[in-house]
Amino acid sequence: MVDVLSPTTPDQLRDAVGWALGSETPLEIIGSGSKRAFGHAVQTNAVLDCSQLSGILFYQPEELVISARVGTPLADIKAALAEKNQQFHFEPGNFPALVNGGVGPDAGTIGGLVACNLAGPRRIKVGAARDHLLGFEAVSGRAEDFKSGGRVMKNVTGFDLSKLMAGSFGTLGVMHTVTLKVMPNDETSATVIVACSDPRKAGKAMTLAMRSENEVSAAAWIAPEDAPHLDVPLAGEYGSGLVALRLEGPHPSVAWRADALCRALAEFGECHEVPESHSHSIWKVVSDVAPFVASENTNSLLWRVSVPPASGGDVCADLIEKTGGRAMMDWAGGRIWLQLAGSDAADGMAGTIRDVVTSAGGQADLVRAPSEMRNTVPVFHPENPALARINARIKENFDPHGILNPGRIAPVSQNGEGA
Amino acid sequence: MLRMPEPDQNTLARRKDIIAAMRDIIPSPGGVIVDDDQLRPYECDGLMAYRQLPMIVVLPENTEQVAAILKYCHTHKIRVVPRGAGTGLSGGALPMADAITISMMKFNRVLDIDWDNRAAVVQPGVTNLGITRAVEHEGFYYAPDPSSQIACSIGGNIAENSGGVHCLKYGLTTNNVLGVEMVTIEGDILRVGGKGLDQAGYDLLGIITGSEGLLGIVTEVTVRILRKPETARALLLGFNSSEEGGNCVAAIIAAGIIPGGLEMMDAPAIKATEEFVQAGYPLDVEALLLVELDGPQVEVDYLIDRVGKIAKDCGAVYSRISDSDEERLLFWSGRKNAFPAIGRISPDYMCMDGTIPRGRLSEVLTGMQDLSKQHGLGVANVFHAGDGNLHPLIMFDANKPGDLEKAEAFGADILKLCVAVGGVLSGEHGIGVEKRDLMGEMFTSDDMKHQERIKMAFDEDQLLNPGKVFPTLHGCGELKTLHAKAVADKFPDIPRF
Repeated sequence: MVDVLSPTTPDQLRDAVGWALGSETPLEIIGSGSKRAFGHAVQTNAVLDCSQLSGILFYQPEELVISARVGTPLADIKAALAEKNQQFHFEPGNFPALVNGGVGPDAGTIGGLVACNLAGPRRIKVGAARDHLLGFEAVSGRAEDFKSGGRVMKNVTGFDLSKLMAGSFGTLGVMHTVTLKVMPNDETSATVIVACSDPRKAGKAMTLAMRSENEVSAAAWIAPEDAPHLDVPLAGEYGSGLVALRLEGPHPSVAWRADALCRALAEFGECHEVPESHSHSIWKVVSDVAPFVASENTNSLLWRVSVPPASGGDVCADLIEKTGGRAMMDWAGGRIWLQLAGSDAADGMAGTIRDVVTSAGGQADLVRAPSEMRNTVPVFHPENPALARINARIKENFDPHGILNPGRIAPVSQNGEGA
Repeated sequence: MLRMPEPDQNTLARRKDIIAAMRDIIPSPGGVIVDDDQLRPYECDGLMAYRQLPMIVVLPENTEQVAAILKYCHTHKIRVVPRGAGTGLSGGALPMADAITISMMKFNRVLDIDWDNRAAVVQPGVTNLGITRAVEHEGFYYAPDPSSQIACSIGGNIAENSGGVHCLKYGLTTNNVLGVEMVTIEGDILRVGGKGLDQAGYDLLGIITGSEGLLGIVTEVTVRILRKPETARALLLGFNSSEEGGNCVAAIIAAGIIPGGLEMMDAPAIKATEEFVQAGYPLDVEALLLVELDGPQVEVDYLIDRVGKIAKDCGAVYSRISDSDEERLLFWSGRKNAFPAIGRISPDYMCMDGTIPRGRLSEVLTGMQDLSKQHGLGVANVFHAGDGNLHPLIMFDANKPGDLEKAEAFGADILKLCVAVGGVLSGEHGIGVEKRDLMGEMFTSDDMKHQERIKMAFDEDQLLNPGKVFPTLHGCGELKTLHAKAVADKFPDIPRF
């Protein structure tokens, strides 16, 4: 039987980790469990459920800061921010829906979002969760309380452990409190779209747009077969793929930059400016990666590729050619989503995909796959051995008995120890 | 007074052998400095109150030499102090009598500018402003702009996670660096990050940035470059109290406007700078705000107008808008010369660097006035108002016996006040030796031990920049030990909540 520990206070969290350490009982750590199918499956006899560590501790819109317990539903936080016309600038989409067909909108908890270091289309301009996490409080695998950072924007006091905790998948410590920077919503936004079915050409158009002085805050390419998802009248009329480029800011500035951007992109074909309401829906589709959600793509695999943005168009075209998959680009080419039919090679074509991506200086993670495949194919891009040695030492120093999410990042069977 | 680790007599006794070994690694003339006269310029960094001649200084020219030096030091257990341009204000490059100071200033080349990925690859000795100089002909710049940007090196910026006046809108160094090449104390050459936005494994780039030379020596840096905004304009706004000034800052941000620069000065700072540079600052206000908007001309004109209206509603008693770039730069000249301006009216000054939640500003300023009376020293304040980073300038006379100690005590009290209201010890200057012994104000012993466990993962023998950042050096054994039985005794039963 699996024991489920559900602490409701930071003290109880420490007791739970302390018991696990003392009794050498490894823990699977979850919030709402929305992203449980991401990463390698963790096999433990005890689950540490952080969803009861919940609630916004303070939110000061004029100071651009919010602090909450990790189990606070993301939907609650987004609602609180929306009420004050603010947002997380890194624009996380509904990532859980890519790995879990049964979740609703804005699924997951704030802690899960930080632990996975998620980010949406605006990452190309403002970074990921790591760049907006101002501070945290946690219990390490040594059952000791520790914290880092604070609640202010500018802070270089001691090592920046917040960066380390963001994206560590609960393998170094269990956070109970996170404090993040928030930003005001822009006065308005507009999107410029260009018809383009060729990912190589799309990559060039996005690169040119990002090099221009028009402060493009997001740049994506949607393939012809996925363009209907956009629910934008023009998209249907084109019958082709689309490059979408977003501009945000005060009204006169956005209008001026949209015109300038259309002029700059003239060589790529006719540009259209999409009004604000449709602009929002386009970027919701992109940030949620709506064409590839789990519920509408049963028996498919999903890869998440990261490469230097300017090489994204070529890498994307190569990946489509070599795998026969469907793809979408975000981050001006820096992020490629690649969906394969589930009947493809048993290793999820990991070798082919990682060869293409590695030679472009990038990396590829297997986001959605059956758990058997995740037992044999490394979900996360293999680390460079010199860095892996340092990462292993950090892990050992923070969680010497390997009780926190063993095997989540690398399967236990692979190297004989938890990651 | 500041205590540094005792010099290792065994190392000092081997100085000749060490010099010979270094000369084998760096054959070029001048690559190994051993004479006192020539070591003198390296005896301190920007924190000039503390000085110490290094054992020797080496100036490697390439990554392989850095790797060979560190490997030698690791094998022979010799301490190392990395150094960039030496402009740091917290003593991060303070030498040690038994340590090799490694100056990275021969790493001064721009290696590659990748316009399509908007990235510049440079060596760590390139100055902060040097990056902008290398890319401005194509309309690009590097955003973080510490006030020492003409002299400070990008390697030093990585070590300190340097800021500047544009952090609220554009972030600190950590948000603008994409990758580094770093040599570990074992002599391994690591490449962390790159032109892509993700890296596998833990976020080592995030940990290395701001690690104050305790984890390795950076030999190459990839930074993000941005398109320079088409134009910028500034407003000068005067208020009858710092509280009103602070409220105006809050109102601007509440209106959804994030200015490129948002600075505030108190009356003593206004007076000192106006006398020094004649920037045209009003002398009859208690607080002066300098607001800079940047972007396309249409955006800047629109926002200037909005900010002007907000300021009026907030009770601004003085308002002036720059009409030309010359006038904008004149507005800035006062703020940018605040430190030398204080240096003109006081024999010495000490620049502090706390950050506070912005809403607590007037409370902190009042507290600081009380402390000023208590310690019997004057203080002027310049403030990165947008992000809460406060730079109190404590005025004293180092030639007066006891004055330096008084200033240090006053400074420590100010930083404690910052922490007490929810702020931090350092916003952008780093901990170094200056604030090392105050770390306990913000962190528990367990907090610091977890930071030190990162250090252990990179430098188990604690050879890199010892005596910096952490007030107490715990042995590696102590940091790694886990008394499993004690834990089991402390947490005996499965908790039921």
